[in-house]
Parts: sequence; C-alpha cells; structure tokens
Amino acid sequence: MKHERPDTTQGRSTATHLLLGALAFGSLAATQPATAQALRDGRIGYVMTERRWAVYETEDGKTECPNGFNLGPREQFAILFPASSGKVYTEVESHLMREGLAFHDMESKEPFPFHDAQGPISYGLNLDGKIGPNDFQSPEGVKGVDNQLYRAIGCIGAYRLNGVVSFFDTDDMYDNGYNRWMIELTGVDDLVNDDDVTVTTYRGLDDLQRDGTGSAFAPGSTQEVDVRWGQSFISQLKGKIVNGVLTTEPIDRLKWPNSQPGVASGYYIIRGSRLELQLTDQVAKGFLAGYVDVESFSHQLNTNWATHHQSYGQLSASSLHRALRRLADAYPDPKTGVNTAISSAVQLTLTQVYLVHPQKKTVVAKSGASSR
Amino acid sequence: MRPPLKLFWALSTGLVLVVVVAAGALRGGTPLLRDADASAKGATAGESFKYWQSPDNPEYEAYREEPMPPGFQVVVADFEGPVFADERGRTLYTWPLRSLRNGATGDREGKPSACTDEVLRVTAGLMSPYPAGLLLPDLDTRPSCVDVWPPVIAPKDAKKVGKWSVIEREDGTPQWAYDGYPVYTSILDQQPGDVRGGTKMDSANDGGVVREPIGPAPAVPPEFEVIQSTSGRLLVTKQRYSVYTWDGDEPNVSNCNKECLTEWTPVRAPQIVTERDGWTIVKRAPGINQWAFRGKPLYTYNYDRGLRSFWGADVPGWHNVYTQRTLPPPEGFTVQDVEAGGEVLADSRGRTIYLYNCRDDSFAQLACDNPDSTQAYRLAICGNGDPKLCQQTFPYVIAPPGAKSVGRLWTVMAIDPDTGRRAMPGQAALNVWAYRDRPVYTYAGDDQPGVTNGDGYGEFTGRRNGFKAFVFRDIFQSNAFRP
Repeated sequence: MKHERPDTTQGRSTATHLLLGALAFGSLAATQPATAQALRDGRIGYVMTERRWAVYETEDGKTECPNGFNLGPREQFAILFPASSGKVYTEVESHLMREGLAFHDMESKEPFPFHDAQGPISYGLNLDGKIGPNDFQSPEGVKGVDNQLYRAIGCIGAYRLNGVVSFFDTDDMYDNGYNRWMIELTGVDDLVNDDDVTVTTYRGLDDLQRDGTGSAFAPGSTQEVDVRWGQSFISQLKGKIVNGVLTTEPIDRLKWPNSQPGVASGYYIIRGSRLELQLTDQVAKGFLAGYVDVESFSHQLNTNWATHHQSYGQLSASSLHRALRRLADAYPDPKTGVNTAISSAVQLTLTQVYLVHPQKKTVVAKSGASSR
Repeated sequence: MRPPLKLFWALSTGLVLVVVVAAGALRGGTPLLRDADASAKGATAGESFKYWQSPDNPEYEAYREEPMPPGFQVVVADFEGPVFADERGRTLYTWPLRSLRNGATGDREGKPSACTDEVLRVTAGLMSPYPAGLLLPDLDTRPSCVDVWPPVIAPKDAKKVGKWSVIEREDGTPQWAYDGYPVYTSILDQQPGDVRGGTKMDSANDGGVVREPIGPAPAVPPEFEVIQSTSGRLLVTKQRYSVYTWDGDEPNVSNCNKECLTEWTPVRAPQIVTERDGWTIVKRAPGINQWAFRGKPLYTYNYDRGLRSFWGADVPGWHNVYTQRTLPPPEGFTVQDVEAGGEVLADSRGRTIYLYNCRDDSFAQLACDNPDSTQAYRLAICGNGDPKLCQQTFPYVIAPPGAKSVGRLWTVMAIDPDTGRRAMPGQAALNVWAYRDRPVYTYAGDDQPGVTNGDGYGEFTGRRNGFKAFVFRDIFQSNAFRP
C-alpha cells in the first residue's frame, strides 16, 4: 500500500478487479480470467510448492568441485574402520561413536578433507550490500552475492539438483502439512509496481491442490491459516514491488518449517531474512535469503535425516557441521565473537492460494520465541 | 481398585469357555502396587479428561471370545486392552518376520522359532549404512533371545485349538503358536496386565522387528475398528475415520438434526442388528438406523481433515470414542499444544515428555530401551558416551518425594544416573518417572512449552536408537501414533 494514497481497492467490483488484472498482466491475464481475481482487496496469497537450497551447478561439476565431491558416512566409515584391517571392531567404537558424533561434534576436529565449492558464480542475494572477496556473482552478473552455505554444500551430492535432499525437501513437503509455508501480501494496489506492501508468513492446514497432470499445482485453491499451532511461523516483512519483483526488507529472525515425515520437529532459523520473488497472479518464484543459524541447520539435519538417508547423497552431518561453523559469516556470538549464522539462499516456487483467516487480527511471532 | 469381572462384556460364540480376568482383579490376592497406590492421584484423577480415564472408570474393552489352549486366559490390560496370557497371567507375544533396510528377521509363519538360546555376539548389519560383524555392547552380560523372550512351551500331547497350534523348536521342544507364529512371554512383564515387551501401536519398520502382544478381536460391529493410540483404544470406522459422540444427545436418542447434520453424519447401522455388548441402535426414521455405543449415538465429522482424527473433538460438546482410554499420567503432568501440530504430554513446566526407543542390530533384535538392558546405545546418542552429558541433554523427569502413580503404566523408578541402570538397594539414586517401565525425559533444547525440538534425536529419526515426543495428537501425520 502506498502511504500517499488511500486504498482505492475498497468497494471495487469484481469486474473492476478483472479489468485491472487484465491491464496489469496483459495477455496472461486475458487468457486466465479465472485467476484474475487472485488479488482481492489488496491481498494475495501464495503457498510454497517447491524449495531447494540454492546450489549453482555446472554440467560435470568440475568447475565448482575441482577436487571432487565430499565423502559420505559410508565412505568415511570404510576409511576409519577398514574391513581389510582384519580387526573386529566393536559397535561402541565404530557405529555408535559415529552416531554420537553427529550430535556432539563440537570438541572434535574434522578428520577428512572437506571440499568447499569453488568458482565465482552462485545463486543468491547481496545480503550485506557490499562486494567482498568471498562473495559470488550471480549467473546474471549481479555482484556481491552472499551465499557461503553454497561453499559448504555445493560439493555434497545430496544438495545438488538430483540429490536426495533437493528431491525430498520438496517431495516430502507435499504430503506433510507441517511444511505448508505460505506468504500473504497485503496493501497491494498493483501487483507490478507498488512501493509499500506487507508480507506475512503463515503455515497452512490444507493439502496442496494439484492440477490434472498430478504433478503441477493449480493456483486458486484455499488454505486455512494455522493460528493454533503455527503461531511461531508467523512473521511480517515490509516490501515493495518493482516491475513485478517483490523485494522485502530483512527481518531479524524468521522460523522456516522443514520437517520430514514421521518427525514432529524441523525448522531453520534464518537471520536477516528477506524475500525476492517474481510475482504473477498465479505464481511467485525467487529467493528466500538470509543468514541461516548454523545450529538450527545441523539440528534439522540430524533429527530429520537418518545416517542411512544421508548416505544416499554422501552427506556427512558432522563434517558439514564443522564446515558450516568454519564458513559462518554473520551474527557473531556476543561472548565468543564466533559467527553463528551463514549466508544462504533458498530457491522457492509458491503457487497462488486464497488464505482463510480464522482470526481477524494477525499476531506475529515474538522475535525471541524458541531460540534454537 | 478397579471393579472386577462384571466390567467386561464378551461376545459369546458358544465355542469354549475362557477365563476372563481383569488385570486389576488378578492382582486381588497378591501384594499389589495398585493397592499401595490407592491414595495416589494422577494429573487429573477424578476428572473427566479426553485422553485418559480414572482407574475407577468401569469402561474397558469387550472382546470376542475364541477357543484357547487349556489354562490360557484373556487379561484386559490398562493400556493395550484385551491380551492373551498364559496360566500365570503373563502376556503373550509373537514376533512376525519383517524386513529392515538390509534384510529380514523374525519368525516365519509355520516355521520353528528364530529366537534361540544362543548369545549373539555380532551385529547383523540389517540397518545401513553400518556393516555386519561389529561386536555388540556388553557381551559379558548379554542375554540370549530366549533369556529375554521365553518361549511358551506346550505339553507334549498338546492339540491344535482354534488359531492355536504347536510348532517344534529346533531342539524338538513343542512351542505354542498363534496364527502360525511361535508365542513368547517377556521378562519385562512382572504382573498380570503388564504389556511391557511390546505394544499394539503401529511400529515403523526402522524401529526394528518388534514383538507384538496378541489378543482377541475387539467386540465391535463389522463397521468399526479399534486402533491403539497413545491415549487408548480409539474407535474408528472400518475406513479408519474417527467417530464422535455429542453431549446434546440422550441415551439412545439422537438430537442431532437439521443444522447439526450439516457437520455431522450419523454412522448408519444395518436393518437387522442384535444389540449387545454396549452396542445399540438409534432409530432416526423408519428404515434408518444409527449405531450407538454405550448408549451414545455415533457420528463422523464432515470436516475431519484425515483418518483417526481428533478434529471433531475440537467442537465443544463433541468427543472421540474409545473402548477404553489410557490411565492418567503422574500428577502435575500436562498436555500441551505444540508447533509440530497437535498435542503432547508435558511435565509440570510444559516441557515435552520424550520416550527413548532402541533395538539392537542383532538378528534377535533385542530391546535396548529400558534400564535392564545395555545403556551403550542411549549414552552414545544423548552424550557421546558420557552419562553426565546425557543427563544434561535429555534429563530424567524427577519424581517428587513420596510420588505415587496410578496403576502400573506410570511408575517411580530408582535409577543410577551414572549408568542409566536400575539403582541397587542402598545406592544413591534418582527417583524418576517411568512409562511402561522405561524412564521418560525432557530435552534441554526445548526452551519453552509448545516445542518438540528433541523429536527425532538419534538414529533413524529417533525410532531406532533415539528420542520421540510423547504425542497424543498429530494433525499433520495422520496421527501415526509412535511407541
């Protein structure tokens, strides 16, 4: 909503909205009249239908991973406890030591070489407004991209495009409503250009609605906002829309749900979080970026991904945890000065939905809620 | 103490008379914890609460009689409902073959028991990514499968009875089998009505090949099922939708009409029905019958979001239906809404209660989730082998001095915190709350009520060797109750 003018959407007829939508979106809206009403009373909602940590990949991976990919639990175990040694290992010194280490690795050093992603290019946003020596350049040529998480995960197979985390993060989201993350833009006069809009994040309660193909998602479904259990996922950001691109100001802390089936927990704390999304009245596509809290990242990994599943993608939780701590680039601990968060970006696709609000007043989560 | 036999209904099949005994009644002539704890109060003892019932509540699950071997009996357990028991009242279990990540173990139908008296020394490698052949913990005190799961030996002249048959063990000893699977007792069961060796709750495969308590079928019409939830024996339709009752109804009379019917659908009953065992018919209109249970008409909720749901009970005056609910937790425990979506059991501060799950990777799949088994697995997960770190990460829930529990489901246990095992008499110990004879915990990372950050902590997201929240209601995962 622009401060200098009243909300002129009030009292408009559906036909007026249709007309405005058609003008705003040209031929797209003209061919999709049913969704031209997606923006109603200055409001439009979207539900997350695709997500993956932003990892820039070349075809053979040799540019960003010239030393190859990192070892996973299976490979590391074989090196530490070689069958060829002829020794019979105890479960305590081998298997259980490795499992315990995944949760308690703070005191130990990384025994294996860890390959950070190399190269000048990465996806993401310029989070600090600077162009630093460790920053990347986006594939489109934008400099100053902050994404040190990419350095940590870029050479781990699990996080690459066809990797197990990339796949299941989205696929398991479909059937697990815990991850039903949504945004709602309010105060929107114009979905193409508006210098003042409010973005509120929510969790929804309903299933996703697929289209007739069974694989894509149809805009125009309904999601009830989870105000009973999902309160801690409600955050609010201020933003603007320029040429159809929503850009928000950062907020200090956003709790972003990410849980696998059968686990009653899982989320990331993203500090300095912000959105950059290309909007249409059917889909929003772009980045959720910020500095992900290192401990929340590793805790989510350890509690939601069994070592068995990590092994699919040569993902060693303890090795990654150490790399995250080493590469963390923001939010220093006030006592130790050690950085606690790492710059990151998530590639998101959200599909338009109508949000049903059980309560009139939105209550945003307290900034200090659940510190992990 | 619970009133005795008259509480139980049985569908008479006219086949064989069986001894029908309530767990409480069996203890009548023995020194009973229940007697000693008669003055104790649970969290809401004496109050009606949706997830549990007073031990004085006479409502327990009726079951269908079936022929059994001489001396065998049915005991109605506090939590698991009716289970088969031997002549001493010990609950009976089977161990059906199931697949794990790298292979299968358990008993094959109609085959001799795979549970032997050999003390297994190495891992089987059933759970990737770890190989077989690793030396198991505490080998000097490790029991054999038979030590932990004594087979139920049949007389030499034993004859097949109903679903009961005899299978010879490898050494030629006859062993009772049920539905083709060899039958065992558990050394964890100390009294009639104890079902501590296993549970009727569904177990995820990664949790190991578990032993399952066996029992007769619930006495419910064919349109219904009873499923084991953390809050008791939940009544659902054959399609597993929850059924509900309404305070606005009268005994065997439905007052749900017009507007009410836009949200609630009466559960239809056939035209010809024998009313028995608490099941009756409400005639809504000529030719339209509705099932009622214990005098209360039954409905499904038109806005339920999934199977075995609790959504309908969020509507004031409406309730889920159980054949029997669980017993109250200790006094001071609470139920908390959690951001995971649902409700969990919590301590007096609202901190989520966690259960520890563990099964070893031997072919015997022995439990390591209780203080009488090796603690090496738990200590690795919660403290990297350090008991003190474990106590910080997942502290025990301390029972206050003089604390008593209601029944045998919740007990006070003396634990040696340095080993995690039961404390010896005279030893410095922590008195902690235990559920099904296993200590319960909170998680240091839960910094406020309403979070379950410790859920999934451990191997295979907490199912195999790790911690899971004590969940009553789980809105996003179809209430897949987890033991």
